[in-house]
Amino acid sequence: MSGQIKRRDFLKGATTGVGLGMLGAMGVYSYSPLRKQHFPETVRRMTDIGVCKSVKVTNVSETSWFENSVLMGDIKGAGGLLVNQYDYNWPPFGNGKGLGKGSYEDGMAKIKHLLPDKVDEAWDICVKNCVHPENAGGFAALVEVEEMSGKKRKFLLDTGWSYAWTHECFKREGIDKMLLNREIEALFISHEHFDHFWGLPVTLKYDPTITLYIPEGFYSEGLQYIKDCGHTGKVVTVPIGLNPHIPGMATYVFDIPIICRVYGEQSMYFNVADKGLVSVTGCCHQGIIQFAETAYKEIKYENDNFHGIYGGLHISPFDDWDPKYDDLVISLRNYDFDRIGCNHCTGVLCAKKFITAGYPVIEGTSRFRSKDKAYLGNGDVITFG
Amino acid sequence: MEKFGAGFLEERKLVKRWSGPIPAFVSIALLFAVFYATWWIFQDPRGYMRMYTPYVGYMYCRWWLIMMIWMVYIFNYWPFKRSWLESAHPLQKGIVLTAVSVGILVLLIKGFFEGFLGNYGLAYFNPEQLEKLPGITSFFAIEYASLAILMFAAIASWLSPAWVVAFEEAPWQKMAQPAKGFSILMLTFFLSTLVYFVTMHPHMGILYHPWQYFTSIAPPYWEEFADTVSGNFHVSWIMCCTVVVWLVETIWERYPFNLIKNDWGRRFTCFFGIIGIALAMHFFFYFAQELTFGEAIRGTRRGFAPDWRWLHVGEMAIFMLVPALFLNFYFGNWPRKFSMPVNVTIRTLITIVASVLLYIAYYKTSHLFLGTQKGISHPQQFPMIPMIWLVNLMLVQHWFMDNWPGWKMVPKTAAELEAEHSAHQEQIEAVKPTPKFGLGLGAGAVMGVVFFFVTVWALPYFYQSIDLIK
Repeated sequence: MSGQIKRRDFLKGATTGVGLGMLGAMGVYSYSPLRKQHFPETVRRMTDIGVCKSVKVTNVSETSWFENSVLMGDIKGAGGLLVNQYDYNWPPFGNGKGLGKGSYEDGMAKIKHLLPDKVDEAWDICVKNCVHPENAGGFAALVEVEEMSGKKRKFLLDTGWSYAWTHECFKREGIDKMLLNREIEALFISHEHFDHFWGLPVTLKYDPTITLYIPEGFYSEGLQYIKDCGHTGKVVTVPIGLNPHIPGMATYVFDIPIICRVYGEQSMYFNVADKGLVSVTGCCHQGIIQFAETAYKEIKYENDNFHGIYGGLHISPFDDWDPKYDDLVISLRNYDFDRIGCNHCTGVLCAKKFITAGYPVIEGTSRFRSKDKAYLGNGDVITFG
Repeated sequence: MEKFGAGFLEERKLVKRWSGPIPAFVSIALLFAVFYATWWIFQDPRGYMRMYTPYVGYMYCRWWLIMMIWMVYIFNYWPFKRSWLESAHPLQKGIVLTAVSVGILVLLIKGFFEGFLGNYGLAYFNPEQLEKLPGITSFFAIEYASLAILMFAAIASWLSPAWVVAFEEAPWQKMAQPAKGFSILMLTFFLSTLVYFVTMHPHMGILYHPWQYFTSIAPPYWEEFADTVSGNFHVSWIMCCTVVVWLVETIWERYPFNLIKNDWGRRFTCFFGIIGIALAMHFFFYFAQELTFGEAIRGTRRGFAPDWRWLHVGEMAIFMLVPALFLNFYFGNWPRKFSMPVNVTIRTLITIVASVLLYIAYYKTSHLFLGTQKGISHPQQFPMIPMIWLVNLMLVQHWFMDNWPGWKMVPKTAAELEAEHSAHQEQIEAVKPTPKFGLGLGAGAVMGVVFFFVTVWALPYFYQSIDLIK
């Protein structure tokens, strides 16, 4: 009996002790410098994606919407940032039922027969049925890669949102003619968001056969939209990870959830001779530092140097702010980019913080409805290499 | 003298309406049905009110939890009389008490935070004041104000119950309601305000450009230590405190703090012990993410950002709260037949395993029915919202409705109460500081450290073996 009691006492002590020992170790060790010995060493894969001579990016449009307050009013009214983008009743998927009550099927039923050739007529219908069509803009960029041989190759990154605005921008920069002449090899869609993807019929009006590279993660509506817009070319779903394309150019797909029910983003890497790595992004929802860190781990690039950035860095797209964005502003210095050509969802406020912090931000000309010279605006061009 | 609901939770006997596990299954089925219906009405981004913007829904969800804690734990159901609590139908009680909790909730948010504080003290509590600033849209004005108000809630949801659980309502434990309730409310609200000013206010102070150097410490003092300027560093340990309070109160039965005989010694040890345990969780959950997701990188976004990692610590902790409350509310705090330390250990193990399974199930499936998106680190999605929403409904069912419909409430007899208190006291007194106990304690502590390092070793392999997001 006494032995049994002693065993029980031991068990009571032991169970209590396990908890104390575990909690003690958790508290003392878990955030100590000693924990770092458990982290695997960074292994650089140094994948050779080749090298190119230069990259020239023409900003066809960085203005995704014209008034923040209008867009955010729509988002607020429809139920916030998690609402499915096809339900907002934004153009082109309008059914006339009002904010937050739209659907892909209703919207497409009204315009499908006009796509892609009669985009202007389709847009007129959208204007009647959609919420705030006048606020829609879009993001698109022309990326010209000069190979080491001197041969130049052209790609589109994204295809805007408003048919009217995208059409206007395409004409302004001569994209329509390039598409007609089949000078543009492919359209890379960075992600499924309205402002990067919904202007697709404008591209297809001029080249319905163009090869599309979309990131893994598209929803069924997005995949159907490609078909409904009258695309007759090849659609390549780019898998998560690194995907070399031509010498000196690769894309990387990140498996990330994004607001308004979108999943996955594709961004571009270029290895420019004698300069280093250039990153070209649509929105960069993965974060520019994550993008740079991924390049460091995955790719071999000239001089082991981060040379330049172009595109949206998705920091304060709605000119909102959060202390975590300051972490980015503070930390970007560690990556020592030579040239930063940011715009779009970077946010004017962030661009100004970059300038204040002394980063090499390439300022723009603030033309064609771009709002500030603090970043590269519509019609501006940046060349790396 | 009318005692209102003082001791009501301990003095009620929940009698199963049917034998076996049927009552638990029926009550849980009803709970989930109500959860999904109310989720659709209030929170779901596809639903009716779509409050999951996310911060608006989060704020209401969080403060509703505190309203119920105030009503039950601090005010002991005052002004509802004991006779009504014992005789009214659970549905009637559920509707009336829920309506009162929601009424106070709206009054507090609209009246106190937005109306009073936001108009006469700190502009960031009031969306209309924020909208006067250039460049701030209505949407973000509401989101920022909701964020500030819910940050206050995070602190209050730790301190309000902590005063009852750890300090045993002292020094007002013998005072009648509502004087006792107001005394505890005033003190915990005051403490919450202090903690808010040194944890969350500096976060709000750098939410704007330029940083508000004149009114808050910028950059915040935790920047170097936490590897971020974000207040999520504090959200993390405060959330852990909230969870630990309830672990101590439910599945741990206040063990081992209840071994301390000296009243004030026990109370202080319990209060600061909760903080100590929470800090251990706070650091370990961060470390666990480093071991599984990889090292955090300051300045990046989402899953690799230190600010998100700290936030996710709080989210991980919440996943522990749900099974602990389930075990306590619906399974009678099983097991009860062993000694207190053994019971506590088994319940803790069950809770840990269940929380891991819940975590995996949540990230694998929640986007299929909550109207959210797949993925771990969506910047606008917080698993705390559905988890706390579920906890709120569990509290409504358990505190307001006596676990209806699976159980019915009958008052315990004086003899039953006496027997229960004696048994509980015996369990505590059975844990004696004998040499064998001390030996076991030492051996257990060594084993605990070994378990910790085994866990650290195993975590990366465990994470690689599951595919959270397909």
